[in-house]
Amino acid sequence: MPAFTDLLFYAFAGLALLFGFLCVANPFSRSPVTSAMFLVLTIIALAGLFILLHAFFLAAVQILVYAGAVMVLFLFVIMLLDLKEEDRRKMRGFTIGAGALAVVAIAGILIRAVIAAQPLAQGILVEGETKPLGKLLFTQYLLPFEVMSLLLLVAMVGVILLSKKEIK
Amino acid sequence: MNSSLLVIEFLVALLGLGVLLADLWIAPSARRTLAYVATTGLLLVFTIHAGALAPADGTAFGGMFLVDGLANFFKSIFLVAAMVVLMVSTRFADRLNGYGEFVALILFATVGMLLTASANDFILMFVSLELITVTFYILVSFQRNRLSSVEAGVKYLIFGALAAAFMVFGITLIFGSANSTNFFEIAAKQGELAKSPVFLIGLLLTFVGLGFKISAFPFQMWTPDVYQGAPAPVTAFLATGSKAAGFVLILRLAYGVVPELSAKWSHLLLGFAVITALYGSFCGLAQRSVKRLMGYSSISNAGFLLLGIAAANDTGSSAVAFFLAAYVFTTLLVFAGVTVVTADGETDDFSAFGGLGQRSPFLAAGLTIGLVSLAGVPPLAGFFAKFWLFKAAALRVADDRWFLVAILAACVAVVISFYYYFGIIRAMYWPRHTAESTPVEPSIPVRLAMVTCIAAVILMGVFPGGLVSVARQAVAGLGPATAPAAHAAPPVAAH
Repeated sequence: MPAFTDLLFYAFAGLALLFGFLCVANPFSRSPVTSAMFLVLTIIALAGLFILLHAFFLAAVQILVYAGAVMVLFLFVIMLLDLKEEDRRKMRGFTIGAGALAVVAIAGILIRAVIAAQPLAQGILVEGETKPLGKLLFTQYLLPFEVMSLLLLVAMVGVILLSKKEIK
Repeated sequence: MNSSLLVIEFLVALLGLGVLLADLWIAPSARRTLAYVATTGLLLVFTIHAGALAPADGTAFGGMFLVDGLANFFKSIFLVAAMVVLMVSTRFADRLNGYGEFVALILFATVGMLLTASANDFILMFVSLELITVTFYILVSFQRNRLSSVEAGVKYLIFGALAAAFMVFGITLIFGSANSTNFFEIAAKQGELAKSPVFLIGLLLTFVGLGFKISAFPFQMWTPDVYQGAPAPVTAFLATGSKAAGFVLILRLAYGVVPELSAKWSHLLLGFAVITALYGSFCGLAQRSVKRLMGYSSISNAGFLLLGIAAANDTGSSAVAFFLAAYVFTTLLVFAGVTVVTADGETDDFSAFGGLGQRSPFLAAGLTIGLVSLAGVPPLAGFFAKFWLFKAAALRVADDRWFLVAILAACVAVVISFYYYFGIIRAMYWPRHTAESTPVEPSIPVRLAMVTCIAAVILMGVFPGGLVSVARQAVAGLGPATAPAAHAAPPVAAH
């Protein structure tokens, strides 16, 4: 009899896969807005997985930042560009064959690796609340954190440069 | 915490921020001064780096940041490349709107490269690689009023994002199986990890991300389009700095972190090396655009470099370091010429180079020296670099017959590449049609940069001994038995 958390894991993982599939290949609708909404649902299912891993802060951020802010941005862009329904593209036999081969090969390797993997003996190492996370971020991972700030500055400069109307 | 080790990176980042601020008060017509100031600043940083004030070998930030011979060697390469690119870009300044930001972005990309050279942890490696890549997304599409530049930017963005996704997925698998992202800790238990399929997939996916950076087959698709579309000085930096950043990480991973595995995978690496070299050479044959041709040349050279990684011996690692130093100077020399020629016209077709022998003898001579060195003709740097790489592979022939096949295939690639390099030279001196005859005059900073590169290419070819010993010392710290003990080694002065 599997534990309750195991059942929850399978439920969230199954939902994430289902919504992910509907996001990229929805048989009922080809509208980009529907895809974006399914992406939101995928992200919420992933947040559930984070909670099962005791990463509470990440789960909250996942919902707030990704499902909330980033997806609203996506929807804004889709609506601003006024994207219509995607045309159904004709798939050639070769394309389907090559794609299927790649998917099967990668899936095969991954499944074999996952089956062979040994779970970590000591269980969960860090409780994913804000305090331990912040401590790690400002001690062990301080340097990458600071480099990230430079990266964000570069991204900001770039966005302004590329979108400004007139550059002197 | 030993943060004084980061003085070089810190100074360059500060310089970039300074340029970004100074841009606000400088008249648009005088923005070229910013490039001169930045180059002078980099020269000062370089003297600190190469001189007595250089940080001693050691680690900082809990073993995440590492200063050793290899890091110092590549940091010299990155600083020199950034200086030359900045000097050359002054010729292009009129066509780059927002030149102040351009200079700052080049400096920030340099910070990313300096950090990759010192990265000793998968997290820092990923973040600093992303700093380089994100900066290049912007730099590639910098001429946003030109459609080809924007197109190149979008292509680079899509391929780059895909490669980054593969890499970050690989890193999570590595962390999941090794329970650490630190290079030393992983190197210490590589024997045990080599049996874990999860770790192997993680490593393979990480190499996918790095393969994109060095444009190795089958991750080379973006190279010709992006090289052609990007502004010429950006292409120069992409072909030298960004590529060398990928290779310093491959060197560190293959020789320092998982040497046992990379020896086991040498056939895989060898196969990709040969396909990459041949692919670049064959596709280069049909090109009429010089920048596109350099893209294929860059792919082909990535193949030769992978040959040195596959060799998995001391000669191989030092040959890769030497080859990159020679390649950087040679490529910068060629792109300096390309920048001047394409700065006024729209096209970088062979016809734009027609009759350059009369229009500017200096430029034509510089380009010829660069191209001849790339082809690998004896007295120049390119010849010795290739010779040494092939020697590293030849040392393995005795115990592995496949290396002989690989060397023969690489020789075929070299011979083919002769044809297209000399095609440009023929266009410059013996044009088919009487092309335009307007003289082009390189400005003094461009001239200075080109003379430096020419001197380096000739000196490295005629007296390779000095650089060889520097390269040998640089890679001496790599190897299976190194972990933290290597820090006792005396600091290597890199020139």
